[in-house]
Amino acid sequence: MLNFLVRRSATVLLVLVGVSILTFSLMYFTPGDPARTILRQQAGGRSPSDAAVQDFRQQHGLNEPIPVQYANWVWDVLHGDLRQSYYQETPVTELIWNRLPETLELAVAGMLVALAISIPTGVISAVHKGGTPDYVSQIAALLGVSMPNFWLGYLFIIVFSIHLGLFPVAGVGGIEHLVLPALTLGSGMAAIITRLVRSSMLEVLDEEYIRTARSKGLRERIVIYKHALRNALIPVVTIVGLQFGYLLNGAVIVEIVFQRPGLGDLLINAIFARDYPVVQGLVLLIAVIFVLTNFVVDLTYRYIDPRISFEGGNA
Amino acid sequence: MPTDPKTRRNWLQILGAGGAASLAGCAGGGNDQNNDDPYQDTNETTDSATDESTESGDDTTGATKAKPATVALSTDPTAGVWQVYGGVTPYYTNILEPLIWVTNDMKLKPWLAKDWTATDETTWEFTLRDDVTFHNGEPLTADAVVFSVEEVLKEWSWAPGWLHIKPEGVKKLDDKTVEFTTTSPFPAFPGTIAHNMVAIQHPSRNREEGEVIGTGPFQVVDRKDKQYVKTEAYDDYWNGEVNLPELTFNVISDPNTRALSLKNNDVDIAYEPPKNKLDSLKKSEETDAITQLSPSTGTARLNMYKSPTDDVKLRKGLNYAVPQKLIVEEVLNGVGVPAKGPIAKSIYWSAHEKLPAYGPNMDKAKSLVEESNYDGETLKLFVSNQLTDGKLLAQVLQQRFDKAGVTVEIQVMEQSAFDDAVRNGNAHIEVTESGTNSGAADYLIYETFHSEGDMNERLHEKNDTGLYNPGKEVDSLIEKGFQTGDKNEKEEVYEQALQKVMDQAAVIPLYYSEYIVAKYNDVNDLDLRPIPEMVRWPGIEHS
Repeated sequence: MLNFLVRRSATVLLVLVGVSILTFSLMYFTPGDPARTILRQQAGGRSPSDAAVQDFRQQHGLNEPIPVQYANWVWDVLHGDLRQSYYQETPVTELIWNRLPETLELAVAGMLVALAISIPTGVISAVHKGGTPDYVSQIAALLGVSMPNFWLGYLFIIVFSIHLGLFPVAGVGGIEHLVLPALTLGSGMAAIITRLVRSSMLEVLDEEYIRTARSKGLRERIVIYKHALRNALIPVVTIVGLQFGYLLNGAVIVEIVFQRPGLGDLLINAIFARDYPVVQGLVLLIAVIFVLTNFVVDLTYRYIDPRISFEGGNA
Repeated sequence: MPTDPKTRRNWLQILGAGGAASLAGCAGGGNDQNNDDPYQDTNETTDSATDESTESGDDTTGATKAKPATVALSTDPTAGVWQVYGGVTPYYTNILEPLIWVTNDMKLKPWLAKDWTATDETTWEFTLRDDVTFHNGEPLTADAVVFSVEEVLKEWSWAPGWLHIKPEGVKKLDDKTVEFTTTSPFPAFPGTIAHNMVAIQHPSRNREEGEVIGTGPFQVVDRKDKQYVKTEAYDDYWNGEVNLPELTFNVISDPNTRALSLKNNDVDIAYEPPKNKLDSLKKSEETDAITQLSPSTGTARLNMYKSPTDDVKLRKGLNYAVPQKLIVEEVLNGVGVPAKGPIAKSIYWSAHEKLPAYGPNMDKAKSLVEESNYDGETLKLFVSNQLTDGKLLAQVLQQRFDKAGVTVEIQVMEQSAFDDAVRNGNAHIEVTESGTNSGAADYLIYETFHSEGDMNERLHEKNDTGLYNPGKEVDSLIEKGFQTGDKNEKEEVYEQALQKVMDQAAVIPLYYSEYIVAKYNDVNDLDLRPIPEMVRWPGIEHS
């Protein structure tokens, strides 16, 4: 276990360094001068003078060689300082902290919707393989995968807000504001997970021990939900873990359609504004979340399937 | 042009007022220092700017008090660098006000200042109104103005250059008089500070707490960053009664969601719904939409210093190939006005009526292309992904140019990359929209066509070329227009400059921009302005 932890921590560190170098250089090699872009935005679209641009570059150390800029940034980050947004002139940590709850709320709600739809559907589909429920769920899954989130979002708004008058169109507030975004985000993901649950269940249902359980005279429900599902969930947990990472930053379209100020929205605006500190801070955070989710997923395996060991390199 | 009757009426009023004003200008002779102001027919005012309240919509005498209203804006009123104003934008919100206001015909109107005079080339004296109070009940003083302007100069590094003023150049003469000293002669000074960015606020506001104390018809009661700003009427507002008791600004950045929020009546007014929704919004029993001409123009600029668009015959040929009317009807869903010149017709010196239109005339386009040095190479057309309808515009141009015998490759670029690439002279054709949100619109012509303007400067310094500058003669005309305090002279010299720009076919005018504001049917008397950020809310009816 200790070995595993040490190995994983080293990997985490390596991944984070790699991600930060990559983001840093990508931003600097992307055309578009942050000084000009930011000053133009601040001045209501008016072109800034060259003197103002030079001042800005000087003030934010943009005239230094890129490796020096990177080293300075890493130094600051190691001291817990993600710097200030160029555009908003607010500490990046504060911006992220303000947006994180909205994004977490949406991601968790989206995931719950996805699981609530996909696990029963996947199981039913597998149990009735080749039957009508299977076809229906497979077609639904195909539709779910094919429909882009923004389209689904508008569709839900038109049906549930405009025609049925059940939910507000956009904004943040009580649970009523969360339902449609969570449905939009969750249904796309539900489609992916349904298919996975189905195939995984089918595999498990063919296993010897299921036959043994049935021959022992156990009730079908116990066989499926206690014996089969638990094992079928291993690959699902991996995907759920990965998808949760995607949910955190991939919810951007949903955040835009439903006007939820979250991290996706923050990132996309920062990229357009060439707000380097915000982009770098957010990418770092997203990388941390991804790596940590994977880590947690790996830990979970052991509890789902005790045969999986952390030792011996098969984890 | 699908124009709301109200808007059409507004424009008739403007035309009438403009005609009367120009007659008055001719008769007046303009000897008075005040009248030398390029934008102003008279800055004398009685003690009440409500004289013009019909125009500003502030006259609500006899009107019943309306219901609260909610506005969906496309930009976040709390985002950006508005810490100087407690973190709330002075655009749209009517919380803070500047010294001078810009009217619907882009002229200057006394606002918190009742009078201003240039005492010499670099000194301006502003007299404040007596009846203005801040939201905390205290009167407007020269100290507050000095404080506000100094804060602006300290806050934004670009502000001193923009206003031509340093912090020590703002001085209180007495309790109601402020003197500004510009760093160089700057006749556009009043037009430049007639801008919501230079708003007057009370010095005792707590910046760290996000407090904002202005003089406007609405005061902040609650706000949540990136979500809303709630305001309520300020009962002691100096400029007439405020009809709406409460006004909330929501941010909804997605145009479709804005339109849907309006349809669901989650909001009462929605800025800039998608153009293709205009008809359905108008036809609906619950909603309506109004279009308003803005001071922006959509153009395709032709790089005069990159082969083969360095050949004037080719540029003219491209100009002849473009059908402005069709573009407005088909691409812009009828929202906009076919353009004749590069400066919006709502700006008085745009010379819109006087500039000759090139076409469309495909035969002429073809023969000019044949006569030119063009040998079949592919021209690069750049367009930014931020320009609404930009890609479609580019495709229409591509088709038309193709018919005229010119091959064009479209590159849609992200805004920052686009700016960089264009300024480096990489494009043959740049499709863009530019306008002003200030009363001093001179910088529009300077930035694009003067050799030291933003577009030309880099290449001009490097290799004496530029992008769209037709030469020294145009430079000196623009400089003359920029420096003159005489309105007629400005109009005359800018017209000459624009004629030369068009003679050289440095630009293909496409459309004068209009914006759409959609509303629920129980909202009436929307008082839109050419500069959308300067809308006035106090007189709106919401039953």
